[in-house]
Amino acid sequence: MTAMQDMLNDPVANFALSIADDLLMLGHVQGDWTGIGPILEEDIASSSMSQDDLSHALMLFEHLGNRFGLDADVIAYERSPEDYRCCDLVTVPDEFDWAVALTRRWFVAHWAAPALERLGTSDDDELNERCRRLRSEQGLHLSYLDDWMRRLGAGEGHDRMQAAMTSLAPQACMLFELPTGLDDEDHRSRRDEIFEAWSRATTAVLTDAGFSVDLTMPSEEHIGGRRGAHAKHFVEQHTEMNEVRCEDPGASW
Amino acid sequence: MVNEPDMLASIDATLAEIPDPELPCSIIDLGLVEHVEIDSDGHVHIVLLPTFTGCPALDMIADNVTREVTAIDGVASCRVKWVFTPPWSPDRINERGRASLKEHGVTVPTCGGGTPGPQEVQLRTSAVPCPWCDSRETRLESPFGPTRCRSIHYCDTCQNTFEDMKQLPSDPA
Repeated sequence: MTAMQDMLNDPVANFALSIADDLLMLGHVQGDWTGIGPILEEDIASSSMSQDDLSHALMLFEHLGNRFGLDADVIAYERSPEDYRCCDLVTVPDEFDWAVALTRRWFVAHWAAPALERLGTSDDDELNERCRRLRSEQGLHLSYLDDWMRRLGAGEGHDRMQAAMTSLAPQACMLFELPTGLDDEDHRSRRDEIFEAWSRATTAVLTDAGFSVDLTMPSEEHIGGRRGAHAKHFVEQHTEMNEVRCEDPGASW
Repeated sequence: MVNEPDMLASIDATLAEIPDPELPCSIIDLGLVEHVEIDSDGHVHIVLLPTFTGCPALDMIADNVTREVTAIDGVASCRVKWVFTPPWSPDRINERGRASLKEHGVTVPTCGGGTPGPQEVQLRTSAVPCPWCDSRETRLESPFGPTRCRSIHYCDTCQNTFEDMKQLPSDPA
């Protein structure tokens, strides 16, 4: 078996990949806003969060790379689409609608925080240390995004935000699809705990902001990105992200 | 055999001259240097602490350190490693670093300002003394400044913006 297959067969690695792949793809997709954010401060904030997301993904890829003898970039770029564990929410096209971009990131940030906390209780101290660090930096995104949700809920953007939430809610719930290899009772109950934390935290903000969204656990029959069945928009983003790497493997600049 | 105390002193002096590419102070003043070790054959191992994981200057700092330290007489090689424990915090910035940052319009929370525990990055939202006029009539403008480690603030008294170093958790639980 190759090192890559070893990694893809490992439950903890799959859980780590679900977080890392979400952050990698989200950072890549949200990067489209760099230079054209609604106002300068928002442009910088959005770009800074994308920069964080990419570096946080890298921190997890590095950990997996050390553990399985792989290069972090190989893990990030050289898997087939079906071996990515990200949820399709992170690559859903925003058509340059800021309400969609902000809501997408808000849902993901609220998943990443409790997921990193959970991943950080592994029996690997080095991984736990990284998770603690990432959790503390992601916390800054959370408070920032929550603040925007409340402000937009109270202002003229309310209806646009509500429309974005309603359209993204089904994909947001798929954040909680159990990744390949984690279909056992233990992981199911951990997933349920993360869902509870996510649901509590998001509902509190939604209530404050006057939004109404139906957030439920996805059904087992619904197979999505975490089990490798990705939507077309993921494949398009994955192809775009890998373009330089495919053209010139090992390129650096 | 190398003369360890002498060589450590030379390495310290060299590191004290290496600036952070994004801040007006050296990596020593900023508190990035956690540990320096020399073995009997003159191989140097330096442990550094990053401010934020997404800081794009990390590679450049490591390259500069390796180049400058390797150039010291008697050093056979230099290896740099970034670690996250203990976490870097603004508490590690020394007096010289604080003075230089203030002069350039960047404020730093007082030592021990953060509460211990595995909590989130903290921002000072109000009453940060303005580095230009010392007024406390200031407010947070944006948590995301020109670099990952700084937030942007505005002074209502002198109507200038300034930056504040973000407070990271000082104790990793």
